[in-house]
Amino acid sequence: MVAYIVRRVIGAVLLLAITTMVTFGIFFLVPRLAGQTTDQIAAQYVGRDPSPEEITLTKRRLGLDDPLVVQYGRFVKGLVAGTDYSYGPNTEFCPPPCFGYSFKYQRAVWPDLVDRFPVTLSLAVGAAAIWLVAGVAIGVLSALRKGTVFDRAAMITALAGVSLPIFFTGLLTLAFIRPEGVVFVPFTENPPAWAGNLLLPWVTLAFLFAAGYARLTRATMLETVGEDYIRTARAKGLPERTVIGKHALRATMTPTLTMFGLDLGLLLGGAVLTESTYSLPGLGKYAVDAIRQNDLPQILGVTTLAAFFIVVANLVVDLLYAVVDPRVRLG
Amino acid sequence: MTAPLDVSGTESSARPEAVLQGAGRQAIEGRSLGQIAWARLRRDKVAITGGVVIVLLIVVAVLAPVITNVVGGPPDKFNEELIDPTFSSPKGSGIFAGVSWEHPLGVEPVNGRDVFSRILYGARISLLIGFLATLVSVVLGVFFGVVAGYFGGWVDTLISRIMDVFLAFPLLLFAIALVGVVPDEAFGLSGNGLRLAVLVFIIGFFSWPYIGRIIRGQTLSLREREFVDAARSLGARSPYILFRELLPNLVAPIIVYSTLLIPTNILFEAALSFLGVGIERPTATWGKMLEQAVPFYSVAPLFVVVPGLAIFITVLAFNLLGDGLRDALDPRGTR
Amino acid sequence: MIRKNALAAVALGATLAVGLSACGGGGPAKGKGPGGGQGQGAGFNAADKDWVNRSDKKGGTLKLVSSQDWDSPDPQNTYYAWSVNFARVYGRQLTTFKSAPGTAGLEVVPDLAESLGEVSPDGKTITYRLKPGLKFDDGSPITSKDVKYGIARMFDRQVLPNGPDYFVLFIDNGGKKFEGPYKDKELKNLTGIQTPDDRTIVFKLTQAFPDFDYLATFPQTTPVPQAKDTGAKYLEKIVASGPYKIDSYQPGKGMQLSRNPHWDPASDPNRKQLVDKIEVQVGLNQDDIDNRLLSGAAHIDVRAVGVGPAAQAKILANPQLKANADSTFTGRLWYFTLNEKIAPFDNIECRKAVQYATDKVALQTAFGGPIAGGDVATTMLPPSVAGYQKFDLYPTPGHKGDLAKAKQHLTACGQPNGFTTKISARADRPTEMRAAEALQQSLQKIGIQTSIKSFPSDRYFTNFAGSPAYVKKEKIGISFHGWHADWPTGFGFLQQLVDGRTIKAQGNTNVQETDDPKINALFDQVTKTKDTTAREKIYGQIDRLQMERASTVPYQYSKGLFYRNPQVANVYFNYAYGEYDYANLSLR
Repeated sequence: MVAYIVRRVIGAVLLLAITTMVTFGIFFLVPRLAGQTTDQIAAQYVGRDPSPEEITLTKRRLGLDDPLVVQYGRFVKGLVAGTDYSYGPNTEFCPPPCFGYSFKYQRAVWPDLVDRFPVTLSLAVGAAAIWLVAGVAIGVLSALRKGTVFDRAAMITALAGVSLPIFFTGLLTLAFIRPEGVVFVPFTENPPAWAGNLLLPWVTLAFLFAAGYARLTRATMLETVGEDYIRTARAKGLPERTVIGKHALRATMTPTLTMFGLDLGLLLGGAVLTESTYSLPGLGKYAVDAIRQNDLPQILGVTTLAAFFIVVANLVVDLLYAVVDPRVRLG
Repeated sequence: MTAPLDVSGTESSARPEAVLQGAGRQAIEGRSLGQIAWARLRRDKVAITGGVVIVLLIVVAVLAPVITNVVGGPPDKFNEELIDPTFSSPKGSGIFAGVSWEHPLGVEPVNGRDVFSRILYGARISLLIGFLATLVSVVLGVFFGVVAGYFGGWVDTLISRIMDVFLAFPLLLFAIALVGVVPDEAFGLSGNGLRLAVLVFIIGFFSWPYIGRIIRGQTLSLREREFVDAARSLGARSPYILFRELLPNLVAPIIVYSTLLIPTNILFEAALSFLGVGIERPTATWGKMLEQAVPFYSVAPLFVVVPGLAIFITVLAFNLLGDGLRDALDPRGTR
Repeated sequence: MIRKNALAAVALGATLAVGLSACGGGGPAKGKGPGGGQGQGAGFNAADKDWVNRSDKKGGTLKLVSSQDWDSPDPQNTYYAWSVNFARVYGRQLTTFKSAPGTAGLEVVPDLAESLGEVSPDGKTITYRLKPGLKFDDGSPITSKDVKYGIARMFDRQVLPNGPDYFVLFIDNGGKKFEGPYKDKELKNLTGIQTPDDRTIVFKLTQAFPDFDYLATFPQTTPVPQAKDTGAKYLEKIVASGPYKIDSYQPGKGMQLSRNPHWDPASDPNRKQLVDKIEVQVGLNQDDIDNRLLSGAAHIDVRAVGVGPAAQAKILANPQLKANADSTFTGRLWYFTLNEKIAPFDNIECRKAVQYATDKVALQTAFGGPIAGGDVATTMLPPSVAGYQKFDLYPTPGHKGDLAKAKQHLTACGQPNGFTTKISARADRPTEMRAAEALQQSLQKIGIQTSIKSFPSDRYFTNFAGSPAYVKKEKIGISFHGWHADWPTGFGFLQQLVDGRTIKAQGNTNVQETDDPKINALFDQVTKTKDTTAREKIYGQIDRLQMERASTVPYQYSKGLFYRNPQVANVYFNYAYGEYDYANLSLR
């Protein structure tokens, strides 16, 4: 078991390393693909009226002329060992994980990410709770009433949910339910306002995801109900409630939690469209803004964090699998 | 990463192994898989409805110039006389302001372009990107999936890890950045033709691992089957086995997942347009129409509802058809 | 089975409750009815003409909102118009604009200084003398050395890149390079600014510059004590000299300010210290801001881009709300350029064809119509800038374009059937993108086929429209442009746009690449002319010369629809900023 865990963790770290490398490569290349010189890249970070001399200084300060490998090395060094940054009269140490300093705002990226994270976390967790409960409940009910009108209606609704783009449903809810828009109020400041504001994004986002859970739960339930041990349980005369609640439902837990883990991991890295639609200042919106501004340290910070959540979610799910099902470890 | 992608992940990971294991077995029974599936599909009214809607959409998209000649007019024509200059919104009151016989779905705020025509022309872009991008991902996904599954060993490990890396990426962010830097001319294309090609390639390229994973799994199980063994012992070479023995048996999952990937790709394009990258103005796409509707959602809600519904209906139709196809092609399906 | 029904009912009930409470829970306060405050509105456009609710009442918390964060609240590192205006709340400058509505606010008056700059006969030495007894918020005295140090900070553009660089360009350090106070801590090379005593500051300029008093209004002349300067981190702990001090600033969120006990009202006739606290919340979306203004949960939108379409509809339809709104000039000009170096716009006839073909009303509509968008423009100088003269060299009926005339010029240009070119505009400005589409429609009518290229506004001038090399490579004939003067004189407005010597490789704002010896000579003449009226006459000449070149097509003097919550007192629209004056706001 330990060996398996070690192997998986090493795999995850490698995956993350490759992800940052590719991300770095792509975003390093993007402006160059657009035909921009390093002078032009530097020009956007020296105010409105840059002299060639200032541009050269900026280029040097940001290290834009260094080869790709050197720039990537600096990024990794900051990440694992921290880095020094001069902000004028003095220099400060930026402790690991140091994602560097925004080219545009000359501000450390990491505190920004930490600052934005609660928004995304609140959004993801709230929506996840709703879609998990609603999805599983509808799935179970559908399975139990397979073939009925309820079942058919629920499954078509589920498909409809998947088919609705969030930037459409989001706009509709803004137009017809909450024209004043939503604001992020930190949970620690005012819990009722926090929930009141986020309810709409939660429900809208959950509607999109619940569908998958309803379908998955229904399918696994149907499979399980046919299995021997359920028949045995029924034959023993256990009440239906126990059979369904204790035995059948438990069987659906593993695949559901797998999917849940992966979806949550994905969302924690930033729900780009939801945050853009509702103007919520989370990681997803941060990422879009960073890309628009071509701010490499910001982009790298937020994408690395997003990849980190996805990889960790995968890892956790895999490890949980290994605990539940020992066969996995051998495979 | 984002909703549409999340959903596609969901769709394909929901029952990755529960599909279509017995394609070959079915064939032995005499009736072809196609016949059985068609018989089943015909009984599935919901899926058929989806199919009919798709066919209608395609017809309407192809005939867009003819139809708008009769109703709506050219999609880019301004109709400022229909706009109240003080409020920038269509003249008239209530949610149906601007709706008339000439403009059955109303007109756009500010410039009064006909919404109906723009929806029709938008359908061309959405469907074209949806189909072509899916083609790209299917080609890539099937190729790498089959290669990984059939050869196994280090080839499989390598391809599987590449797919892992892909799935760990915030793909939407990459797509935004990459579509944003498309030059004006490249590969002998220019303007919107080039942007369309780039969109197709990027969307298709970022979606292939979803198909790839499924095909790999299918190939892995097919590889161990008797008929493959038989072919191999008869001295057949790998290319022959791949193309003549394996591929025909993968047709069913390919059809199902292509059908389910098209709507995902349509949503992907809409999302990119909504975030401000994609086809250039004034060309109408559904996602762009939604983007342009954002400042006006409370003044001209119809302008939000119409393109949103267009996306919804199209995507739902594909999902219904794909779902029905999956049930019809799944030998264990009991419906 | 019954149990399961109950479960379903619970699940549905929960969803419904969720939906319902979403309408009511949390969020901005509302429900005080239209106006949200007490009393009648002062009338439409009242703050454009006079102080609204003039009052000496103290107390309360002024709540300001903005959809945008500061570029930086650091006085030496800011350039956003609203931030420049707001920086006067916590900082004082050598000079400032008069606290008066409309064009009266264009007058420069002394602030820290006792009087306007004393100019030497050759115009190259300017001396200010500070008022006595001025203090920072910690009680320490403000000296001329602190003013000098503040200006010195912006010479290090690697640390503080955002501010305008006029001082860097104009200060004469005798040929030596001053690298900023972080590399040259004793300011040895900054010989162009001298402080013979604690109250006197002398500027030596490379050339005579009659608008120097305007430059001195910039927040760059805000005093900064060297001992408290932390470079790029100074924004976290700014030492205040204005009526309010900063208690906290959080990037992306906002700022809290409270009274500065060491600010002396006797020394500062231009500012008030009436409210106890000022809160600024940034990063909100426009609809949210508008709803807060209407409900009274917020008082003024400091970003001053005007209300969004939804609030506009509400305000204009309701006379009670309209009485609290102003539709007035923001000082900004919207125009587009026809690049003189790119064929076929290198031929003046083709440029004239576009002048006549443009349907300016369609472009105006794209910006929101006459109330929220602005007035149709025919000159480069807007009416709110000193030197404006009204004329129209390319009149068309109702400003809707004259296709016959346009075609004539097209033929004269040798392109009777039109041609193809590209339009550049800023992708994240929906109004500008719509205007680009409208222009595309106009030009199509005379056979000019265009494709619209959109770029992020952050990099529009550094990398795209403002990079002549890029424009040339991509053959972008038409570029959308908008301009707000750094200071409200013809020189401040026009020089960066049409002086041929300002064309540069990056960040070029003379996008059409006008380089006309006659225009350049007139700019030189301005710097030698001491009489204000004579200078203003020259601005009109420059404007006319530029319009004769036909390479810029002004189409709109920008206006916005601004809402002042009726609870706000001492509110008026100052044309120097094209915004409400933030230094005097208080509550009724």
